[in-house]
Amino acid sequence: MAKQMGFYIIAGRCVECHACEVACKELNNVALGIHWRKVQNHWDGEFPNPTNINMSSACMHCRKPACLEVCPTHAITKRAEDGIVVVNQSECIGCRACGSACPYGVPQYGHDSKMQKCNLCLERLENGKEPVCVSTCPGEALGFGPVEEFAKSAAGKLAVRLQGETEPSFFVVGSSIGPKPEVFIDTFFKRL
Amino acid sequence: MKRSSEGSFTRRSFLQTAGLVGIGSAVAAGTTNLLGLPPQLHSSEEKAIPTFCAMCGPSLGCGIYAIVKDGKLIRVEGMKESPLNRGRNCPKAHAAAQWVYSPQRLKYPLRRVGKRGEGKFEKISWEQAIDHIAAKLKEQKEKYGPESLAVLSPARRTYSGYMQRFLQAHGSPNYGHSGICMVEKTFVFGYTIGSATVGGPVPDYAKTNCLFIWGTQPIYSGSSKGQLKRLLDCKARGAKIIAIKPTMEPDVAIADIWVPIRPGTDAALALAMLNVIITEKLYDAAFVEEWTYGFDKLAAHVQKYTPEWAEPITGIPAQQTKDVARIYATTKHAAIDHGNGFEHAPSCNDAIRAVGALMAIAGHLDRPGGNLFPGKPPAATKPVELNEKITQGMIDKLVCPEFPKTLQPFIEGTSSAYNGLIESVLTGKPYPIRGIIAPGTQPTVSTRNPKGMVIEALKKVDFFAVVDVMRTAEMNYADIVLPVTTMYETDHPFEAGGNWVMARNKVIEPLGPYKSDYEFWIELAVKMGYGKDFWNGSLTECMNDQLSPLGITIDELRAKPNGIVYEMKPPVYEKYKQVFNSPSPRLSKAPYLPQGKVALYNTTFEELGMTPMPEWKEPPESSGRTPELLKKYPLTFSDFHTSKVYNAGWLRNVPYLREVMPDPTLQMNPKTAKARGIKDGDWVIVESIRGWLKFKADVNPGIRPDTVMALHGWYQGCGELAKSAFPILDGGANTNIMYSIDHKIAWDPAVTAMSSQTLVQVRKA
Repeated sequence: MAKQMGFYIIAGRCVECHACEVACKELNNVALGIHWRKVQNHWDGEFPNPTNINMSSACMHCRKPACLEVCPTHAITKRAEDGIVVVNQSECIGCRACGSACPYGVPQYGHDSKMQKCNLCLERLENGKEPVCVSTCPGEALGFGPVEEFAKSAAGKLAVRLQGETEPSFFVVGSSIGPKPEVFIDTFFKRL
Repeated sequence: MKRSSEGSFTRRSFLQTAGLVGIGSAVAAGTTNLLGLPPQLHSSEEKAIPTFCAMCGPSLGCGIYAIVKDGKLIRVEGMKESPLNRGRNCPKAHAAAQWVYSPQRLKYPLRRVGKRGEGKFEKISWEQAIDHIAAKLKEQKEKYGPESLAVLSPARRTYSGYMQRFLQAHGSPNYGHSGICMVEKTFVFGYTIGSATVGGPVPDYAKTNCLFIWGTQPIYSGSSKGQLKRLLDCKARGAKIIAIKPTMEPDVAIADIWVPIRPGTDAALALAMLNVIITEKLYDAAFVEEWTYGFDKLAAHVQKYTPEWAEPITGIPAQQTKDVARIYATTKHAAIDHGNGFEHAPSCNDAIRAVGALMAIAGHLDRPGGNLFPGKPPAATKPVELNEKITQGMIDKLVCPEFPKTLQPFIEGTSSAYNGLIESVLTGKPYPIRGIIAPGTQPTVSTRNPKGMVIEALKKVDFFAVVDVMRTAEMNYADIVLPVTTMYETDHPFEAGGNWVMARNKVIEPLGPYKSDYEFWIELAVKMGYGKDFWNGSLTECMNDQLSPLGITIDELRAKPNGIVYEMKPPVYEKYKQVFNSPSPRLSKAPYLPQGKVALYNTTFEELGMTPMPEWKEPPESSGRTPELLKKYPLTFSDFHTSKVYNAGWLRNVPYLREVMPDPTLQMNPKTAKARGIKDGDWVIVESIRGWLKFKADVNPGIRPDTVMALHGWYQGCGELAKSAFPILDGGANTNIMYSIDHKIAWDPAVTAMSSQTLVQVRKA
């Protein structure tokens, strides 16, 4: 199986500070109203015992990307060397089929109507750097890397991989701070 | 394979496991990346300039590399070499370019030509502005005495010392400090437990088994400066976390126990905890015997403050008060991270004294895992203030002493209550302030402003000057408006703190006819004839003077791109003899603690006519003090001072930040909302006896049903997101118009802390 890069998050270490989101926008010059990375917050329960958990996510760089399959112009491709899903904007016709197909609401459309999204900071990876969301996260909640090797690692053994038809490359790592990964995934992805 | 303490991989070990060692080590080596460029750069057209983030104001910010392309700041990269943020940053840091290039930047020095408030100005030069201010200050000094000048202090900035120094050279004691920010805590802890540490004794996150987060927000205030990481690591290590705060912010969300206290009632809770610990004999008898004064009197005094007595005040069930008191006293290593929340109530000094007493009698002072008295930081430089210039005559002339005159000066020098000196313009008591300079502070949103009292004062005062980067809420009332550089447009001053000192580098050329805040004070001082006290106008001499204790010059410091990181000395514990005999900053240098012991019974306060032991004082409008108001205004209202993306009254004009928090919100419980037909996201009106505000409802279960809360500091618009500015008074979202300024009931008698509580009703807009 070819190498596949992906993100992980340690449940409980994300505190909804939005540093990842703003750093992503700053680096990629993302227009207002468009989010390559999103931070979500979820409340449950009642006073005085509510719960409140947070998650940050971006493109799942799926093994079987639904966006790619529906793209009529083949503007979306998956890189053979690392599995990163990229969009060639010059071929995008702005039909938004990818937006409807993606189960995670990832594709975003700019003023030019063309699709844009997270490319795992490809430029930085090629320069030997981490994606900016990972490197700036003050809570050290985010990580990334080749998923097969991660799954086999000790951290990977505490992690739960997000399941889905598109085979998303996203893990939630358990910790003593936050909810169990299963609960975390259920909270943020149950409607899918 | 190394496991981190939380049982998962650290990021670095994950990189190694993940086969990214090549990438990881190229970055860690710090010399070049795979392009053969410095690791921060993406192309050879970029330049990386090491400096400090300035999005919390000119201060010891997080270390950053500002990336410049074609002379423009394009982004910020974290500085891994910084011991503070270790390469990590918060959202504000990453929005710096939008702030620097904001259309809201002041463009030129301005002189008022229209009426106050009309907003008619003429463009003048920087030199003309300095000449104008100097002439006015000289004239007022001659006519009314030097004390007629007041400078309003923003949150502590590196230039705060220059403001004090200027006033000291001028001869005025009236440094206007808000009684809401850290100094109150420092003062009361000083006169209770002898700790002269800024902010009080420091919670030992690294070794504690039980951490109380009390009236503070360790996540938003300094997330990237390591505060978030140390909290998460503390929890991951297995420490119990107990959070005492009215709302469930993200730090509360990870706590084991939430004590959802009613705003402004911390003193009552702390008194009840003392009652439990003393009644149940859970205190450290040996420490109490050897190192405290007045324990028997305190024991008798707190008899009446039972957990049952506190319950209707704090809203905390008596059983929970007992539980947390027992946990605190019986856990071997327990610490309290105490915050500015205490400083927003008329019982401020009582709360701090009671919390200091808790630390002392429970035996958690200066012991591993408790609250520590840190020694002098290794990077300590010479203070800018000229406190040796302070005379009794100056103290006697304080227009509204922040602390009792006999206990002045305190660590920052002499000070008057920010709000009180503005009030003097209106009342003329004991004399009116004639000239006000507001550098980086916006009095109409930053201090109490019921019925627009600040605006009335600014209309009436003889002279008002604004010194700022951005347009301010009240610049239309100013005689002179001076635009200053952002800290990305200047190469001074250096910053030092803890074990780190680093020079600041200029990232871009100033975008207009600007000079720095530091140049402003130094040039004005020289023009006034105070050059001898201001290094004869030389910034190099100024910085070399301050660096002298470290034995380096600014040029030597500049040669080290990441500054100097000193080794931290291992902590020394139980320094009671030394700390409990520390001299206070008063002119007499008399020790903080006359008995050389923790002042459970405070003879210093008693001699000044204040209560010798902490008591409970209701906020001016509350269920306890004004039950008759409850029918019309049944909910307690208070405000937050920290948020994930804003600082006080600024940064709302930065689009990337405004996207995160687009509207002023009112946090309310689903029950409270439902009873009023309000749904999440509805606009609502909040009314009190003093005025009304408009917010978007943020309905969630993380707040008491009898309380609603909002963030303070809202007025700015954000053109890029089509958000217009809000009114400063009724109909806006400026929480400062809601509170009482009646000194007798709304102010703490020792430290002029002001109540941030009132009663309100909420309805759908």
